[in-house]
Amino acid sequence: MARFRLEITKGEEIRYISHLDYARAIERALRRAKLPVAYSEGFNPHMKMAFASALSVGVTSDAEYLDVDMAEDLAEEALASRLKPQLPAGIVLNRSRIIVGRPAALMAVVNLATYRITLPYGAETSADGAAAAVRRFNEVASVSYVKESPKGRREIDVKQYLAEPVELRQAPDGLELAAAIRITPTGSIKPVEVLSVLTGDFGLPGRADGARINRTGLFVSDGERRLTPLEVE
Amino acid sequence: MIQIDPAILSRVTKPARYTGQEWNSIVKAPESVEASFVLAFPDVYEVGLSNLGFKILYHILNSRSGVAVERAYAPWVDMEAEMRRAAVPLCTVESFRPLAEFDAIGFTLQYEMSYTNILNMLDLAGIPVLAAERGDEHPLIMAGGPCAFNAEPLADFVDFFILGEAEEAIVDVAEAVAAWKKAGKPRGKTGILEKVAAIGGVYVPAFYDVAYHGDGTVKAVAPNHAAARPTVTKRIVKDLDEAPFPTEPVVPYLDIVHDRIMLELFRGCTRGCRFCQAGVIYRPVRERRPETLLKLAQELVDSTGYSEMSLTSLSSADYSCLHDTVRQLIDRFKDQGVSVSLPSLRIDSFSIQLAQEVQQVRKSGLTFAPEAGTQRLRDVINKGVTERDLEEAVGAAFKAGWSTVKLYFMIGLPTETDEDVAGIAKLAYKVLDLYKSVTGRRGAKVTVSVSSFVPKPHTSFQWYGQNSIEELERKQRLLKSLLRDRSISFSWHDAPVSFLEAVFARGDRKVGKALLAAWRRGARFDGWSEHFRYDFWLEAFAETGIDPHFYAGRERAATELLPWDHLSAGVDKTFLAREYQRALAGDSTADCRRDQCSACGVCQGLGVNVVDWGAGA
Ligand code: SF4
Repeated sequence: MARFRLEITKGEEIRYISHLDYARAIERALRRAKLPVAYSEGFNPHMKMAFASALSVGVTSDAEYLDVDMAEDLAEEALASRLKPQLPAGIVLNRSRIIVGRPAALMAVVNLATYRITLPYGAETSADGAAAAVRRFNEVASVSYVKESPKGRREIDVKQYLAEPVELRQAPDGLELAAAIRITPTGSIKPVEVLSVLTGDFGLPGRADGARINRTGLFVSDGERRLTPLEVE
Repeated sequence: MIQIDPAILSRVTKPARYTGQEWNSIVKAPESVEASFVLAFPDVYEVGLSNLGFKILYHILNSRSGVAVERAYAPWVDMEAEMRRAAVPLCTVESFRPLAEFDAIGFTLQYEMSYTNILNMLDLAGIPVLAAERGDEHPLIMAGGPCAFNAEPLADFVDFFILGEAEEAIVDVAEAVAAWKKAGKPRGKTGILEKVAAIGGVYVPAFYDVAYHGDGTVKAVAPNHAAARPTVTKRIVKDLDEAPFPTEPVVPYLDIVHDRIMLELFRGCTRGCRFCQAGVIYRPVRERRPETLLKLAQELVDSTGYSEMSLTSLSSADYSCLHDTVRQLIDRFKDQGVSVSLPSLRIDSFSIQLAQEVQQVRKSGLTFAPEAGTQRLRDVINKGVTERDLEEAVGAAFKAGWSTVKLYFMIGLPTETDEDVAGIAKLAYKVLDLYKSVTGRRGAKVTVSVSSFVPKPHTSFQWYGQNSIEELERKQRLLKSLLRDRSISFSWHDAPVSFLEAVFARGDRKVGKALLAAWRRGARFDGWSEHFRYDFWLEAFAETGIDPHFYAGRERAATELLPWDHLSAGVDKTFLAREYQRALAGDSTADCRRDQCSACGVCQGLGVNVVDWGAGA
């Protein structure tokens, strides 16, 4: 019995698949790899695996984390060598390790996600306008936003989820925003929602639906130090 | 290569329908092949990728080094609107090249109500929908699948059809196209059509003239070209055991309709249900060997990572070595987390026993298809099922712990009376009562699903005049009034859809005009009730002067030349006529699989044999 923690990517090729599709793709890869994954008991057994955080349709990621339980002992290298050839385009196994003991669930410890949002250059691009919008956003103490979900409408303060000021820079393929978003037990905010607040309420030039969003990291943060789930004890 | 704007992809539903990259999909460099094809499915991705026939052809063509074959699907209406607004042409999900850049595009004809999607896909690809308006700079448009057995309604749009099982014919076509290209396309489009017309099973409609009588019926269908044969007969795979089977199918990211391994046990079904077209066009029965199936299953599990395997065939429970094969499959794969399922159950207790083994503890609903409500009518349609069979099967299911049963029926069958319709309700109540007497309590759920009978070409009922929309709706109301118990849920099909299905199932070349007119008005996804616009169709018939009732509701004379008589499934028309007479007399005909040959003509005519490993093989 061993629990493996994996760091994998969600690349451009599969940007538009949902979290469920992504999870299913990994299950199938694990099965093709003939790894001794543990299954739950019951009428409808499923693989014992758990993700740190779900990723939205349209968002790529440099680092997603999941824990997979094995029913038998397995060497650390064996997982990588058997899984890698079975991963579809867009999913790369960066690293993995065996987790000893029974640590808290990934979902419960990860509390910070960093994103890079790229707004492709276009007729409407204005570096100065963007800088001003981001500065205003960073300066205000709170920004209200109405979250619409199947469960209803809820007004939230966007700023309470931002761990640090949004950064702006000019990259070769567009204006780049960097945001660090808190994941709290009572919820979080999506990067696309932060972006729509920026373009909608703060006059950031550009269209939110044309942006490319990439999750650059998931962390366990104590406010000062950021550790990846592979580094925490 | 077309790159779809991320803004578009972020707006449409299920954008992964358009972005490909699936496991086992094959992308070849266009310059590395001699000919490139598209398999185009005239419905959404989730439906199209579930089709076994296309998986087979994808595998066969791509396993040839000189050929590339890619896939395309009908974009959903939201994506279509985006594509038209941004002038994005329809492209494949492998190399994302526009369809117009390929040598040939093959559509599958699974259902008449997908025909407008074919026109729409051609139009979205920037390809003229009318064959006569396409030159050699355009891809060849081909079509196959069950509805190709009456190709006539699509004769104006499709360059050629492949009748029957295309495993071998598609290779012949690919070689012909590659050779024609290599030779510099001699004689242009006519040149390649002459070549393919010589291939068995290929029908080039432009090489035939149709003459009509004054009353609108067909007078003659005659070749107008030396390359055309008077009758085109279907292709068939004689030895299914040797036939290529796709052991590395594309595994989608999206949850598609049949998101599992499909293992085809056998082809054909000779139970002889008289309404069933598949039972005629896939004759005779040819089974795969159990050893072959186990080997294929292992390869499929290894290459896909699927957790479920479905044993598909027209009536899987009829497979001669079913029990053993199922047990071995379950045993071999249970540790790998792979379950086995049977899509269709026969109405007998053997099937229940098997379902119990297969489903283990999970008790999802069981589905049975008595098709008709009374014994008299079941004899007419040659559905060899008695009320006792149903009672035994359902009783065994209830004893085994099932409580949900779904029953499939048809209304509008030949000779049907209101008593037969009421028989459907009686049977449903009987099932409810049975649950009470078996388990001693209430709580069964019975779903009664009723479709409206559509007479299909190449069946014994191909002459039958369909019930009118009013009559079908009256029968639906009658049933609704009889099914008042809250434990019974009742669902039915829209009668206008069944009516149109009948028009195009048995239409001639003239109905193509109405199809074009309806599509121009905006008809597409006609099989999806939320997009079905009957008004478009009525306007289209009025505009083109085509009387749809002439095709749907008219009982055809035995002597009438039918629009599809020059397209042969290998089954004699005299056999079908005989079966129609037997139907009207209420006489049943035995299954030739293990009983005697009923002389349908296919085995002798095509030089094939029934292959059944249980029948003394
Ligand atoms: S020819 Fe005879 S054995 Fe062959 S499919 Fe027809 S009825 Fe069956």
